[in-house]
Amino acid sequence: MGAKIAQVRALATVSYAPAAPRISGRGDQASRSPVPGSPAPEDVVLPGQDFLPVLPALQGLLPSAGLQRGQVITTDGGGLLCLALAAGASASGAWCAAVGLPGLGVRAAIDAGLGHDRLLLVADPGVAWPQVVAALLDGCDIVLLRPPDRPSAQLRRKLEATARRHGSVLLVAGEWEGAQTRLLVASREWAGIGAGHGRLRARRVQVVAEGRGAGTRPRAAWLWLPGPDGAVAPAADPVSPDLASPRPAAVGGAAVAGTALVGTG
Amino acid sequence: MGLLWLALLWWGRDDGGDGMTGGTRAPRKVRKVRRVRSVRRVLVLCCPDWLAPPTGPDQGPVPGQGAAGQGAAGQGAEPGARAFEQVVATVEEFCPKVEVLRPGACAIGVRGPARYFGGEPELARKIAAAVRKIGFSCQVGIADGLFAAELAARIDQPGPSGQPGPSGLIVPQGGVPAFLAGQPVAALGIPELAYLLPRLGITTLGDFAALPAVEAANRFGTQGVLAHRLASGLDPRPLAPRPPSVDLSAAWEFDPPVEQSEPVVFAAKSLAEHMHAQLAASGLACVRVQVQVHSADGRQLTRFWRHDGLLSGLAVAERVRWQLDGWRPGGPADGSPAHGGEVPGPGAAPGGITLLRLIPDQLVRAVGRQLGLWGDAVVSDRVARAAVRVQAMLGHGAVTRPVLAGGRSPADQVLLVPFGDAGEPPRPADRPWPGSIPAPVPATVYPVPLPARVTDDSGEAVSVTGRAQVSAPPTWISAAGAPVRAITSWAGPWPLTERWWDPARARRQARFQLVTDDGSAWLAVVQDGRWLVEASYD
Repeated sequence: MGAKIAQVRALATVSYAPAAPRISGRGDQASRSPVPGSPAPEDVVLPGQDFLPVLPALQGLLPSAGLQRGQVITTDGGGLLCLALAAGASASGAWCAAVGLPGLGVRAAIDAGLGHDRLLLVADPGVAWPQVVAALLDGCDIVLLRPPDRPSAQLRRKLEATARRHGSVLLVAGEWEGAQTRLLVASREWAGIGAGHGRLRARRVQVVAEGRGAGTRPRAAWLWLPGPDGAVAPAADPVSPDLASPRPAAVGGAAVAGTALVGTG
Repeated sequence: MGLLWLALLWWGRDDGGDGMTGGTRAPRKVRKVRRVRSVRRVLVLCCPDWLAPPTGPDQGPVPGQGAAGQGAAGQGAEPGARAFEQVVATVEEFCPKVEVLRPGACAIGVRGPARYFGGEPELARKIAAAVRKIGFSCQVGIADGLFAAELAARIDQPGPSGQPGPSGLIVPQGGVPAFLAGQPVAALGIPELAYLLPRLGITTLGDFAALPAVEAANRFGTQGVLAHRLASGLDPRPLAPRPPSVDLSAAWEFDPPVEQSEPVVFAAKSLAEHMHAQLAASGLACVRVQVQVHSADGRQLTRFWRHDGLLSGLAVAERVRWQLDGWRPGGPADGSPAHGGEVPGPGAAPGGITLLRLIPDQLVRAVGRQLGLWGDAVVSDRVARAAVRVQAMLGHGAVTRPVLAGGRSPADQVLLVPFGDAGEPPRPADRPWPGSIPAPVPATVYPVPLPARVTDDSGEAVSVTGRAQVSAPPTWISAAGAPVRAITSWAGPWPLTERWWDPARARRQARFQLVTDDGSAWLAVVQDGRWLVEASYD
């Protein structure tokens, strides 16, 4: 995993370095400084703010400790990580729309902190999904998207421009070349369940963030995703937390079937 | 003397003024009017088994509803109210001034139409026949005053000489007190009195009317006075016919037909302003506006947009643009927001657009609109615009909002309600649901559970007995044709038996939590011997 991240970092540095000033428009230092007012969850998201707040547990993963408006962020899979990313902003009053996620677990989203009364679902956008996403980027602060098909480079650029124009954040569950930040679940294990006894109580995951521009340096964090009550909380490092000795990467699904092996918690 | 005159005037106002046979009355004639007090004869038409017929293709759901809270109340009664329009329109052919009492009942003044159509029985028969002809059953009652007429309309009576004439009753002129005398006090529709009066030994309206009005006022207050007036056959208020259905629509013809939508949208703005001016001149507002677009090849696209007297001309034009955008089959193939100004591709709007018509629908008197002081605008305009635009593209049901419901399986716990509708969850969420899966809840709930195959070490399918005994520890799982994975840990079976009294919705299953070797966790159930994956925890 370490090698992979180093490779990604090198790639990102080389290919995206010239773009960095344009994307963030400020230095690393400046963008990492806390956004005034964003950590307080009761704050209403102001349209003029540059960053949407995220849950405290996720702040260390993002270069600016928040979701920068106009950004595209990808997560692997449409699961809880994607919902947790949107939860902080939603709790502050932002509107979310989920496109192409018919199986979105609303209960889990609520437990993670997403407000279901500020959530629009477009389960099946069909072939016109780019127009749907564009329309929703205009109205909502965050759009969660699982593209039904692989978008062309031109289409991606258009949607990115739409997000920048309206100052909204596009969270893609899946692949999106050119995303500013990618979040991957590098390792996960469930606690509380045994062979025939117990039940699922919490899941400890290691989330790795890779990015470009200000977020080039890979960051990793151990999280309870979800915790015992469904909320997202920072977790202590397990006994052998080492990026260099990779735990089974469950990113690729079937690709790692042969090698994957998870110890039960 | 001046004081006496004033007292007389006041008394006249109080007592005779609400006979209200129309117009202002000189105080000098008060006494005379009292003597010949004639309550206006009224015909009431009731449709007893009011059932909304299926809505037609152009009466689809109403997108474009502004404030969620305000629209929610009207949404529920809408199909019935809308279908009753047909009945009202039929009655309007007999008398233009119809008061709609509620969906399912309307009233007209009977004097003029009865003279024209040859008497009251004939009028009642004709109206009933006309309403039955459009497919609604109805009962017609005629009496002096609205209250008696409504009661008369509810009386079941076979039509004259066995023909399918009106059931309901025609109370002859002056016969109202006698007619009311036999009615039970419950007919007043005041639950308090309906409970109290029989306990006081007053069971019929005749008994109640026999009391002095002063005593009724002393004992029961304003409500008692009102009830006493009703029981005596006096009318508490005159008919309030609904606004006349004059044609307030506005249309624009395009000659030659236009291919692009931009000129249509431009015309829509001035049309909408014209329509609004017409409405304002008549003191009316419309609940919805119907946008009709005709194309050169004869096709017609009609859609209702909620208006509530709130939309500006520009906002109506915007809805026309959305409607035209939604009409084009493919839409623009790029990611740009669908601009109406783009030239539609070949075959998109065949032959161009020839006519645009805006029709105000469900006219009501413009009484202004009081918005809630706070908490009213739940959905911000920006979000509502985006949602309505997507609805215009994909259909009303495509954009949903989740409402929490009660239930034991994750799929039961959420109800998806189309944006703009008010949805009541069938099962309340704030009740204890023993047997539901404890937190944490799955992050992905499959709309349709995935069929799965779960086997033990030897490759045999794992089964669960009626006593919730699992045949062997589950070892391998393959869901929906995916490759087989090893199960590293599992929990269950947790039996669930729901609604055994209802064969259609009964459910009996055993639930498992499974963790596979790639770290994913699943919620699987065994139902009727088959394994289904209901949800994923990732």
